[in-house]
Amino acid sequence: MSKESYRQLLSPVTAILVLCFLLARIAYGHHSFTAEFVADKTATLSGTITDVWFRNPHVRYIMHVENESGDVETWDARGSPVVWLARKGWTKDTIKVGDKVQMYGFLGRDGIKMLSIMTITLADGTVLIDQVPE
Amino acid sequence: MRQVMALLVIIVFPGAAAASIEGDWLLSLQDKQRTLVGLLEIEKSEDGWVAYLEGGPVSVVTDGDDVVIVADSRDVRGFVFDRRMTGSIDGDFMSGTYEQVGAAAQKEAPGPWQAKRQISGAGDAPEPNPVDLSGTWVATQELDFRKYTMSLTPAGEEWLETYLPYYDQPDVRCTSIGLPAIMTYSFPFEIIASDNRLTMIYEYQSRVRRIWLDGRSAGEFVPPSRMGHSTAHWDGSTLVINTTNLEKTVRDFRGELISENARVEERYSLSADEDTLTAVITVHDPENYSRPPVRRRQWQRNDSADIFPYTCDPDSFYLKMYEDGEMDMYIERTDRRF
Repeated sequence: MSKESYRQLLSPVTAILVLCFLLARIAYGHHSFTAEFVADKTATLSGTITDVWFRNPHVRYIMHVENESGDVETWDARGSPVVWLARKGWTKDTIKVGDKVQMYGFLGRDGIKMLSIMTITLADGTVLIDQVPE
Repeated sequence: MRQVMALLVIIVFPGAAAASIEGDWLLSLQDKQRTLVGLLEIEKSEDGWVAYLEGGPVSVVTDGDDVVIVADSRDVRGFVFDRRMTGSIDGDFMSGTYEQVGAAAQKEAPGPWQAKRQISGAGDAPEPNPVDLSGTWVATQELDFRKYTMSLTPAGEEWLETYLPYYDQPDVRCTSIGLPAIMTYSFPFEIIASDNRLTMIYEYQSRVRRIWLDGRSAGEFVPPSRMGHSTAHWDGSTLVINTTNLEKTVRDFRGELISENARVEERYSLSADEDTLTAVITVHDPENYSRPPVRRRQWQRNDSADIFPYTCDPDSFYLKMYEDGEMDMYIERTDRRF
């Protein structure tokens, strides 16, 4: 690309477009927790657990999921506080690194690879329900 | 000309012929599993009605004796939806059916609703008649509408507009969220009764609170705190707790501000069988709310329930932010956190 072309790209209009893009990026980055998931988009994901954070304030499982084109995606699945799960017998040893599981939950907004966990099906068929007490 | 004027009057005052619903109503709604209750306050405006449910604005539209009430709410996973109540007015009574509008994690089947006019009688305070509240209490089905939008002052609105719950909430980084939120989250707590105080032990964030029954003031050197300084008296057999000396915090998940000058009032009452505890929690904070927000909660006595330890580690919170490249933004927002 010639220097002339660069100058054209940096016209005031382009500068405004770039600014809009940057502002949009900032707004996207500043998502709130409640705005992270969408109520009308659920998904079932199957994969392998690569990291377990069984801690308050929220349990977190990192999972590798193979997508349709064969690429491995890293998903960040969020659960309830430890006490709610522990009371039902769901402990830090229930799901370990290397386990193959199926998760069902609400998807992250704007295509972010996050899942708000509703259920997890273990390899032996056990279904764990992560539902907030009401 | 007279006909035109008459038409104009009809257009301008569509509610002129409608029943007067001005006043306070106790609104209740029947889901398959639970009954929700809340105070509905209706005022007359130039072109219809201005209404509030539990201190937050709702839409009330009437056409003759028909009424439509729409109230927004937030479910336990944070999804916001509306409840649309349609029905009819019959003097001091309104009733009809409601449906949930919008996607939510907690699906509600359509069900009946009703509202009864409340006649306020300013009588003398009943004689104290203390009851035994000691025991372990486990949160039940929620009792209130979880009204989402509240009536905020311009200062309260301004705060909320720039607040980012995911990054700014005290509890995402394991800091005490305090009153009133700790009372409204679905975790068990224990009440221990002594001569001059009640001690409340909360599972959430492993917090302890003392409620003084001898009317004492906060000590001279006791700093404001998230749990504040609580005194209580008995209004008949209702325990009325007033808490001040609060440190600035947020009201719940959404992040509406609670100032240092706020007063939180909690009214606790026990069911006849002494197994159900009900609380009505009202936040008086004119700096941030033009109407006091109200929450209602209920617990069942279960003295065999364990209060679990609550160790909290903010590591995953900071790590995720680091992975997302958001640390600089987080540091820039230091003044939004406390």
